[in-house]
Amino acid sequence: MHLWIEEKELKEIKDKFPSIAINKEENFTYIQVKKSQLLEILRFLKDRLNYKMFIDFFCIDFPLHNPRFQGVYILFSPEKKKRVAVKVWAEDNSLPSVISLWKGAKWAEREAWDMFGVKFEGHENLVRMFLWEGYKYHPLRKDFPLKGYEEVYLPSLNLRPGEIPAHNYSPYHTEIPTMEDLERTQKKRMEKRNQIVLNWGPLHPGTHGTIWFLFDMEGEYIKNCDIILGQLHRGVEKIAENLTYTQFIPYTDRMDYISALCSQVAYVNAVEKLLGIEPPEKAKFIRTMMCELQRINSHLLWLGTYALDLGALTIFLYAFREREKIMDIIEGIAGIRLNSSYIRIGGVAKDLPEGALDVIKHFCEDFSEKIKEYETILTKNRIWLKRNVNVGIITEEDVYSYGLTGVVARSAGVPYDIRMIQPTDAYDKVDFELPLGTVGDCYDRYLLRMEEMRQSVNIVRQCVKKLEKMKDENYIASDNPYVLPTLEEVFNSIESMVKDFNLRIYGEQVPEGEIYLSGENPRGELGFYINSKGEGRPYRLRIRSGAFYNLQIFTKLIIGRTVADAVALLGSLDPVVGETDR
Amino acid sequence: MELVGTVVVLVIKSVIFILGMFLGAAYLTLLERKFAGHVQQRPGPLHVGPHGFLQPIADALKVLTKEDLVPDNVDKVLFYLASLMAFVPAIMILAVVPFGDPFTIFGVEIKPYITDINVGLLLALAFGSISIYGVIFAGWASNSKYPMIGGLRKAAVLIGYEVALGFALVGPIMMAGSFSLREIVEAQQNIWFIIPNILAFVVVIFCVLAETGRTPFDVQEAEAELVGGYVTEYTGMKFGLFPLAEWYIATFVLSAITVILFFGGWNPIPFLGWLPIPAFVWFFLKVFLLFMFFLWVHWTLPRYRVDQITELAWKVMLPLALANIFIVAIWIIIFG
Repeated sequence: MHLWIEEKELKEIKDKFPSIAINKEENFTYIQVKKSQLLEILRFLKDRLNYKMFIDFFCIDFPLHNPRFQGVYILFSPEKKKRVAVKVWAEDNSLPSVISLWKGAKWAEREAWDMFGVKFEGHENLVRMFLWEGYKYHPLRKDFPLKGYEEVYLPSLNLRPGEIPAHNYSPYHTEIPTMEDLERTQKKRMEKRNQIVLNWGPLHPGTHGTIWFLFDMEGEYIKNCDIILGQLHRGVEKIAENLTYTQFIPYTDRMDYISALCSQVAYVNAVEKLLGIEPPEKAKFIRTMMCELQRINSHLLWLGTYALDLGALTIFLYAFREREKIMDIIEGIAGIRLNSSYIRIGGVAKDLPEGALDVIKHFCEDFSEKIKEYETILTKNRIWLKRNVNVGIITEEDVYSYGLTGVVARSAGVPYDIRMIQPTDAYDKVDFELPLGTVGDCYDRYLLRMEEMRQSVNIVRQCVKKLEKMKDENYIASDNPYVLPTLEEVFNSIESMVKDFNLRIYGEQVPEGEIYLSGENPRGELGFYINSKGEGRPYRLRIRSGAFYNLQIFTKLIIGRTVADAVALLGSLDPVVGETDR
Repeated sequence: MELVGTVVVLVIKSVIFILGMFLGAAYLTLLERKFAGHVQQRPGPLHVGPHGFLQPIADALKVLTKEDLVPDNVDKVLFYLASLMAFVPAIMILAVVPFGDPFTIFGVEIKPYITDINVGLLLALAFGSISIYGVIFAGWASNSKYPMIGGLRKAAVLIGYEVALGFALVGPIMMAGSFSLREIVEAQQNIWFIIPNILAFVVVIFCVLAETGRTPFDVQEAEAELVGGYVTEYTGMKFGLFPLAEWYIATFVLSAITVILFFGGWNPIPFLGWLPIPAFVWFFLKVFLLFMFFLWVHWTLPRYRVDQITELAWKVMLPLALANIFIVAIWIIIFG
């Protein structure tokens, strides 16, 4: 489905600003503007044309071009359900900050500074996003080697004197942060103005991973807050530039490790669209079914840990009991429980095993009862209400300004769901409802996630019904020249073997072009921007992480609330650090 | 000579009570773990001994042989004192808790209590209040932010509930006309004090949950917020004493006092008095049921926020306790 800005509006912009260049393509329509006009055009887009929702900002490095860096803004109009991208060259390595228009740009700009060294004029606190203060390099630049610079002398602790190390052993290591570095990072982020600064994290049972919160507290009340991310930063975007498209699929698993299948589907859909591959019908239904199972799985993990954070220990085990069943189903189908790598370009890796659909059908029947059980314990519990109602209220304005997506956006009453707006796979062939919140507090988000689980069961049921009739159909479009042949084909025909060899060694030779396509992850919109230069690997791959943008509003909502609320609020925003840090 | 005899008897009784409480508390941990296991649809400890029956002994051995880490910057005196301050007062309440009427075996009269002083209940309350020093000392001495916040939270909660608890106990005392726990039980031979004191009973249930730091009032060690609360820096047996004192001994002893005040102590359950069951079996049965009730609450509910807890104490529990005194006063005027 086409989601980019229409001709009429492009013309309107062109009339207003004659100096811009418009590039209209099916997968990515953008407006090329000059740096001096950037803020003016963005304001025009936001206020006049209603492109008021901030989706993403990122940079691309062109080492041979002058100026070297290009910034890309992606905006969305909630009324028209259209996207528009704005590109600008960063002259003198700097761009004007757009925080005055969208607060959500704050972290994205910091990330661009961290990764590319592009400065932002007017940014309130331009410090590094993932790496520590004092780090010398900007790793996403093209001239930064994948391996990094090995320059710190770090001899092995296990090496005893007199021993001869292995022939390729090197005591030099890429730079790692020291205690002083971390202290400097902490000081740069927040000043102490009140009684105590509480370091909540990086390793803390309440933070769901390795997020480092800084709370400036007056008694138990948090007066100021900042978040230090990056403890799990692995440079996934840099790795992607050095791998073929198929090789990158396992890395998408390890971003949002709780909903691996959803990430895979979002990524593979983007690549397929760029390559022009149409997966077979059966593969589409399998993908949709697996995505929804994964969504239930993810929401169950959320329910368990959220209740655990608020002190209800028992719900945790109840939720895991059902989650275990989904894990077994996924293991039975994909072979792996967590990081399943099941989706392939052009289809899925394996056919459904015999009996899988029966197991899923039984699970669906059983699960509807279990949701009632959870709700009996929690939904009308007075303590649960006291801890959740009116905590962390998100308004519609916040959603647009911070680029919030997923359940967090829907709790504020914004019907933003990629499954509805831009249905991929079989989402346009199944029936489901979109629950919306009214208040936007933690309790709304709890109710929405419970309702979403019910809707997901409903979708899974419909997919099972369809899949039962497609038993003998093909599950991967392996006759397409870009799609890896199945194992059977490789063993039985020399052509397939050669094709397999070529695709695995040289990668899919994706035609030149750009694409931004997203999928509805349980944590929000997971978008993939791929810039291809006609090679076997992407020139630039940007991951728009829903959890990253959703987490950003935490620092605003927590002001004036207690540490106990921080737990509830963080739980209801539900970030996964693997995805925020990438 | 008589004095020496009394002292010897007291010492023997104290040793029996303390050892019994230790062993009992150890097995209460097993009970809780089994109970939690079955609530959560898992079997609980199974492997040490038959059906996990020796698990508490394995736990005790493990906790005693653990390396005892003391962080560098702690206030050493208070750090050690804290775990004792939490533990000793909790077990000292036992001195005034009677477990039955005096009885005679082989011509020797045995009193199943250590002392029967006429201000027993006040003494129990006082010991209960002292144990909070352990928590505050632990929070302060650890020289760390999380224990500090945990200790202060607990202090805030306890101040609120001590007041409500004090007023709630006035009802039964008015009806019995005595502070002695034994006399309070004797006054309940015809009718249990739960009848007019139902409001006080509700208040006492909340207070016991708050004092022993069980969910929904376990804010002092809310693990998702404060890691381990005031015990974050403790290890080994020093750590083990805190939950042992709070979760088991204090809960057990307070359950016993609640039973004495509201459920007729060792008097048989109404209409079942003809059964050939000894008095202390009745007593322990009631205490056990109440203890299980606390476990049930603990493993079901989420937890309150600390400001909500103190709000509850001052705005709901204190008025309820005062209303109870009023009701009991009218009851006494009517029924004498």
